[in-house]
Amino acid sequence: MLFLRQAWTIALKDLKAELRTKEAINASLSFALVILLLFSFAFDPTAEQTREISGGLLWLVFAFAGALILNRSFSREQANDCLDILVASPVSGAALFIGKAAANAILILAVEAVCLPVFGIFYNVTWTRHPWWLLLVLVLATWGLTVIGTMFSALTVNLRLRELMLPVLVYPMMIPSLMAAMQLTTILIAGEPVAGENMVWLRLLIGFDIIFTALGIGLVETVLVN
Amino acid sequence: MGIRNKLIYLLAILGGILVIRNLNVILLHFPDEAAQGAIYRIMFFHVPCWFICFTAFFVAGVASALYLWKRKTVFDNVAVSAVEVGVVFTITGLITGMIWARIIWGIWWTWDPRLTWAFITLLVYLGYLMLRRAIDDPTERAKNSAVLCIFAFTSVLITYKAIDWWRTQHPGAVLSFRTGGGNIEPAWEMMLLWNFLAIGLIATAVLLIRTNQERVQREVDALRRRVHEL
Amino acid sequence: MDERNFTFMFYGFAAAWAVLALYVVYLGAREGKLRRQLENLKRMLEEREKT
Repeated sequence: MLFLRQAWTIALKDLKAELRTKEAINASLSFALVILLLFSFAFDPTAEQTREISGGLLWLVFAFAGALILNRSFSREQANDCLDILVASPVSGAALFIGKAAANAILILAVEAVCLPVFGIFYNVTWTRHPWWLLLVLVLATWGLTVIGTMFSALTVNLRLRELMLPVLVYPMMIPSLMAAMQLTTILIAGEPVAGENMVWLRLLIGFDIIFTALGIGLVETVLVN
Repeated sequence: MGIRNKLIYLLAILGGILVIRNLNVILLHFPDEAAQGAIYRIMFFHVPCWFICFTAFFVAGVASALYLWKRKTVFDNVAVSAVEVGVVFTITGLITGMIWARIIWGIWWTWDPRLTWAFITLLVYLGYLMLRRAIDDPTERAKNSAVLCIFAFTSVLITYKAIDWWRTQHPGAVLSFRTGGGNIEPAWEMMLLWNFLAIGLIATAVLLIRTNQERVQREVDALRRRVHEL
Repeated sequence: MDERNFTFMFYGFAAAWAVLALYVVYLGAREGKLRRQLENLKRMLEEREKT
């Protein structure tokens, strides 16, 4: 219970800090919307074509926009030695990790929640045929991205080239989650429910989440403590 | 370090002799395969390259975990060396695979799960090498790259299982311990394992050389710090 | 068809060994560089300790 309370406190702190300045979420949202717009101009896809690529397009947008939010995760603690104080505090490393990951996930989900209606309007695609399945996929995949991104943000926090290293390290590791999310999203937007053969993607998402959350919780303390 | 150098030479020479013997068998004693002609012989280097690659990354993962547990620098030395050797064999595996694919499938590359995951594995471990270059402090570098190495090993596991989990263009499992026998000629399977041993011996020699170099590099860095202090 | 297969097979073998050979050459060069650095530094250390 203490663990959950600590994680919740950290998550609230991060969310409050972010909402005060709204730097990361503004940048992320603008970036996502610009890509959606540009893509629509560049390729001018028909509704049919869009449905086929919807998963790929949406998740590329979410991954790139999400990276902006994830980068800030630990780097915002660098000023005034906040990171050292957090690590030295009674909050366990795992709680710190889960709290930050939760805050990041909520922010990225917020960006996704804005992007989906925009996508629907600009591309003339209904995406609401299976809302609960879509929500499940969004939550699971976003958690996967967030866990990897938060972990690697901790790993690269002290580097000079942090802005460059984080994407380079994070994107290959996110690919299982992204791939599964893209497939499932395309299927759901096309109107099919997730069933039968496609369940393997859902299983991949869940497995990915479990494994990397466990690895993250286990290893984050090692990374943060000098 | 006399014994170490002797061991390295011994491994390299044994490996070399075994490779020449294997090449002899492959080129002169194995008949051409019905559908593929001569090109199938690449398999005898392509498959062992990937075995060695996976083994190297496994060694790196174990060494990283040991480093995090015991914090002795020798484990970090082994880890980085194993990753470098692994990356070399990943590249070799990809190149031999592409050459084989060009003849058999008519294309250099396709995004089927096995190939995609092999490429992702390469990217992930290149990221590891990049991370090492970016951190100056040796202890920090060892610690953080060890954590990354453990994460990275998951991509190796997925690459290995890719042919079981998805229907791929890449051929399915052939080794007897995976299929229970019957998917491949016994003589070929033996040759795969022999070549794994042969190239593996050479790879081990290279690994030992690289590990030693890492140790010397640390000495050089320490000496440099001392000289600049004076 | 068999001719082309043979040529490609040799390319394949050559490519595999070339990558490994390049790496070994790189290691050799590194070894030389490290030795030189080590000797230089030891010499510099002796000089500085004498003064």
